[in-house]
Amino acid sequence: MLFYRNLLILFILLQNNVYSQSKIVLSPFFKEVKTHTDEFKSKSFKKIQSYFLKKEWDSTLIYSLKELSLPQNDSKIIDYCHFFRGYSFKQKKLFEDSKNEFQLVSKEFFFYERIDMYLGEMLLGEKSYKKAIKYFQKFQKTQTYKGKTIKRTSVLENIGTCYLHLKQYETSKKYIEESLKILEQKKDTLGLIKSYGNIAGLYYDQYQDDIAIPLYQKAYDLSPYVSDFNTKSESAQNMYVVEKNRKNYKKALRYFEEHKKWKDSVQSEAKRIATIKREKEYLVQQKQRELNDLQAENKVQEAERKFLLYSAGFLILLLLAGSYFYSDKLKTNRVISAQNKRLDELNETKNKLFSIVSHDLRSSVNTLKLSNKKLLKNVTANDTLSTQKLLKENSTIVNSAYQLLDNLLNWALLQTKQSYFEVKEIQLFRAIEHIAYNYKPLLIEKGLNFENNIAISVKIQADQESLKIIFRNLLDNAIKFSNKRGDIKFYTKELDENYVTIILEDTGIGMDETTRLKLQNSTTLIVNERSHKNIIGSGLGLQLCKSMIQKNKGKFSIESQLGKGTKMIVSLPKATY
Amino acid sequence: MEREALVEVLEGNDYNIISSADNFKDALAIYMQEKDIDLVIIDVFLGEHPEGILFAETINQLEKPKKPFLFLTSSIDKELFERAKATMPFNYMVKPFNELELLFSISSAMEQFYGQKEAVTSGDKDTIITQDHLYIQKGSSLKKVLLSQIIFIEVEGRYCNIITEKGKFVILISLTKILELLDTSIFSRVNRNTVVNIQKIEEIFMDDRLILLSENYKVTLSDKYKDLLKKALVLK
Repeated sequence: MLFYRNLLILFILLQNNVYSQSKIVLSPFFKEVKTHTDEFKSKSFKKIQSYFLKKEWDSTLIYSLKELSLPQNDSKIIDYCHFFRGYSFKQKKLFEDSKNEFQLVSKEFFFYERIDMYLGEMLLGEKSYKKAIKYFQKFQKTQTYKGKTIKRTSVLENIGTCYLHLKQYETSKKYIEESLKILEQKKDTLGLIKSYGNIAGLYYDQYQDDIAIPLYQKAYDLSPYVSDFNTKSESAQNMYVVEKNRKNYKKALRYFEEHKKWKDSVQSEAKRIATIKREKEYLVQQKQRELNDLQAENKVQEAERKFLLYSAGFLILLLLAGSYFYSDKLKTNRVISAQNKRLDELNETKNKLFSIVSHDLRSSVNTLKLSNKKLLKNVTANDTLSTQKLLKENSTIVNSAYQLLDNLLNWALLQTKQSYFEVKEIQLFRAIEHIAYNYKPLLIEKGLNFENNIAISVKIQADQESLKIIFRNLLDNAIKFSNKRGDIKFYTKELDENYVTIILEDTGIGMDETTRLKLQNSTTLIVNERSHKNIIGSGLGLQLCKSMIQKNKGKFSIESQLGKGTKMIVSLPKATY
Repeated sequence: MEREALVEVLEGNDYNIISSADNFKDALAIYMQEKDIDLVIIDVFLGEHPEGILFAETINQLEKPKKPFLFLTSSIDKELFERAKATMPFNYMVKPFNELELLFSISSAMEQFYGQKEAVTSGDKDTIITQDHLYIQKGSSLKKVLLSQIIFIEVEGRYCNIITEKGKFVILISLTKILELLDTSIFSRVNRNTVVNIQKIEEIFMDDRLILLSENYKVTLSDKYKDLLKKALVLK
């Protein structure tokens, strides 16, 4: 019973807080604190402010202590820190610490006057009623600050409570009635009910049932006019306790049921709110999740898009590089195949050359070998006539072998482009004379009539060595393919003002049209069918001639009639005077 | 063997070979000692190395009056050719070459050296005239005549008769051309067709307008060229 009554007293003291905590919305005081502290920009203070407004007292205490330990310039912040700390300590029922903190707050502080109220409340809690009354009264008198967030009625009620505890009932009653009068004037039904309940509880506690019960009754009677289930439930509960103590169980039961009903309503309301809150939270969560999903999806899509973009770019690059390399390869391949073809040709040429030259040289040398044996025999037999004849024959063979070797060397030099080539002015008549000089014995032997009908004044532009090679070979051929006692003539014609056309005419065996065209136009080495068994020839000489003529920027053609003779026609650039 | 063949050809054509060497050192020594060199024939390969080119490069640096030279080589290697060409030879012959080519090359080198292009190789003229000599193309080779040996020159149409103490030559050259090239302080015209070597004048018979030259040659002196007397008298 006593325990119960004590509970009620505590209820009075803490009602303000319970009331505040049940609401999510900030109470007028907190709102005021917020508006006054929002002006501070300090991050660390903002943190303290937010913890304070969230009523997280421990965090508030820790961060405010930290803030105070820092070197501070702003006295306002220091005041707020002390104030918050005092308030937090008070809420944590550490009254001594709270008082100490509050004492550190400067008098200029905006909420300074409130501190008296808090100190009073704390003293009331500590049952130092007289001291509490002093603070309350001080607060009451000096209440000049604009924010009337502490109800006058609360102060009055607190003073009343103090006097009640001091058993000064008359004084107590005076304060309480003043408070009730204000509430009635304000038609604050909820406040009235609460006050009635509180005051009744106090009286009841002092066993002044006569005053208490009507007050309880009044509170209960007013309760249908308010919508707050808690208040309804409480007033009903109070009536239940009263009736139970009066052993009026029937009534008590009725009140209890009513109390129960309202309490359930409170709970269900609370539940409903909680449910709604949960639902809301769930919805929010759901939404959040959806949002997250969408975000994730977006990210995935973005990533996919990026991936596609990059891979497309990469593929294009790959394609370009591929096509570049492919075309490059094609080009290279084309070049390589062309080179291969040329190489094959050259290789074939070389092989032919080798086979012919080696065959010809071998037969020449073999003839010489046999001839030398005969010579030895003749020398021992002192057969001078035969020896002379044989030596003459050998000389011919050696000459022709030498010619072949010389051509071979020049061919090789031409292919490797190693030889020196110097175009200069040349007296054609003299050049032909010099070339023909070597063939004089051969011409005489074959009984051929040689004529150099070129005018001394004719001059051409050519490289001397290649010119020699050209006409040596042509003359050699002319002699080879001439019958005995034929004619060989050199003469020139001026068909073009820039060229000298040199004609080597013989009355030899000639050639058919196919051979002529083949000899005239082929660019690679041609191997003659050995139509003339006794004549050493490989086609190398003529091919060399053609190459040299070309190198000297000249032209070459053949005119021939089978059985009648051949004209080898060479055009070379005229010397410029 | 090649050298022998070369010597044989040259001597066969009345060329006088002063000396021959098979290395750079000897060649240079000969070149420095001998005074009567008309032409040097250099094989690019003296021995194993292309010392011939070095020799040509060396004689080009000497203060001694330059003599014409021509190269012989069996190589037509580009690099060697370029190096040889840089020595400014008066001809370059690639082996194998025949007698005719060699003789022609010598003539050609001589006329080029004395700056008388086609003086002997063109066929219509045959004499190179230098400070001290006449080089006359006879057949395939050149004959050298000392200017100091000439007694007088007589023009006959397109020809000139060169009368020397050792004999008579006919050369294909105009009198004007000869007078252009000869030293006029030694050679002087005495009549329309005759140029005499002043140093060979024995006596001048003014009354008969006759000049008595050495070897008892007599030429007439025309009025137009009487100034000669002064020159001759001064000389005597």
